[in-house]
Amino acid sequence: MSGFLSYMNGDSILHRLNPLTKLLMSAALCASCFLTHRHSVVIGVIVFNLCMSYSAGGLKRSLAMSVSFIKLALLLFVLQVFFVREGNIILTLPLNIYITDKGALFSSLFSLRLVAATMPLAIMLSVTRMSDISNVLAQKLRIPYKYTFALTTAIRFIPIFSEEMAGIAEAQTARGVEFDTKNFFKKIRLLLPLCVPLLISSVRKIEGSAISAELRGFNLRTRECGYKTYRFGLRDAGALVLTAAIIAAAVLI
Amino acid sequence: MLRFDGVSFYRGSEKIINDVSFEIDRGDFAALLGENGAGKSTLCRLCNGLLKPDSGRVTVCGNDTSSAKTSAIARNVGFLFQNPDRQLCQNTVRKEILFGLEHVLSDRAEMESRTEEMLEMFSLDGKRDPFGMSRGERQQVALASILACKPQLLILDEPTTGLDYRECVTIMGIISRLNAEGTTILMVSHDMEVVGDFAERALVLSGGRLVADAPVRRIMKDAQILDSASLLPAQIPALAMSLGDNFSDVFTVDDMAAQVESVCAKKERAPL
Repeated sequence: MSGFLSYMNGDSILHRLNPLTKLLMSAALCASCFLTHRHSVVIGVIVFNLCMSYSAGGLKRSLAMSVSFIKLALLLFVLQVFFVREGNIILTLPLNIYITDKGALFSSLFSLRLVAATMPLAIMLSVTRMSDISNVLAQKLRIPYKYTFALTTAIRFIPIFSEEMAGIAEAQTARGVEFDTKNFFKKIRLLLPLCVPLLISSVRKIEGSAISAELRGFNLRTRECGYKTYRFGLRDAGALVLTAAIIAAAVLI
Repeated sequence: MLRFDGVSFYRGSEKIINDVSFEIDRGDFAALLGENGAGKSTLCRLCNGLLKPDSGRVTVCGNDTSSAKTSAIARNVGFLFQNPDRQLCQNTVRKEILFGLEHVLSDRAEMESRTEEMLEMFSLDGKRDPFGMSRGERQQVALASILACKPQLLILDEPTTGLDYRECVTIMGIISRLNAEGTTILMVSHDMEVVGDFAERALVLSGGRLVADAPVRRIMKDAQILDSASLLPAQIPALAMSLGDNFSDVFTVDDMAAQVESVCAKKERAPL
């Protein structure tokens, strides 16, 4: 998952959009998945996400990400489909377990929504530098820089913690801990003690970053500070019109 | 003990280890040298099955790492990581040492006895919290927890990085003693003084290829190999090289003192 959130170099239209436009677009695409009750619209949003990703040169990454989400979505589908008891029975299983048409439709829509709604933010993060997100939120939305920086730092730390956890698991495997077991529950039980080193290393890293920022005058920064300015252009207007069209389609279709 | 047969390993499309073959026998003390990014840490991870070779074969203590589970290999192969914090997960030193033992032993008395042995060997207080200790002390706890399992092969990934002189001497003294008792050692290090003092043999990696496999004394004096791996020789061999042929056999401080004395005596005896 760490690779999905890291910045991907490029000079595509998506890269050049104002970071705020990209944030709005991803929020709107996410919202459109929940405004519609049609599978076709949600599938349309997934295809649109993949097209955006292709235009930014990150289709391979998005497809890999989709595979991960689809696995999770399938798990949720299986969990959901047996709990909806309304509608006509389309499949009967032993122990009074059955699948209804409404259950199948609801669960499939739910699973598709999961895939469609999580992709836009991941794509947006992969084509926008974290520093640009914190700067634009401070400049345009007037959110105090302290909070925007905290938000983007939290996102930035996700892949770092993920790598750290992988390193810890590797070190413990080398000590004889059976992380290479195929038993899922045993693996979870073995993972629990590792939360201690992860927590400690995380706190150490965060403390180090905080001290480092403090020593470089972090608290002196105001909204006017900041080297870059973020103007809206024609392509931003175009992107927002397209976003509005997607939302309208989600509501009207 | 450890055998690499034409091993290659890729990360993505990049070839990290390129057709590497070597063998380390029981009781050897080998140093793995090379510049940053040469593939040393990857090679270490291939030794105990944390990584599986894309081609070729790695055999360690009779196990083919491609088919054996890493946790099973860990019974015979100890691995000390560069960052001890990744290995530590218990709130006292005693529990930390016991944690590793619980995976390889079932006899409680034996576990207790080995824990006490390690606490004594490293002069550690079993009640202390490892996370409140200094970097060097944490490194010692990590090493103690590995040695408690009595591995036949010990892989050390830069064991002296970040340690002060005293801590370095303590750790290397223990490692050297274990080697004398028969434990095989493969050590990654950038510290050529440590390599010169303790290792007998050096494997030099450059760009994922094994460019040299020879006694440390020979490697230290081979400017071409050292240069290819961006290494500098230890100070005494470097001085000996600059002093010319009379000092070609000089490797340690004692060798140097003896040779200087001998050269001076010859000069005194020489007619004016």
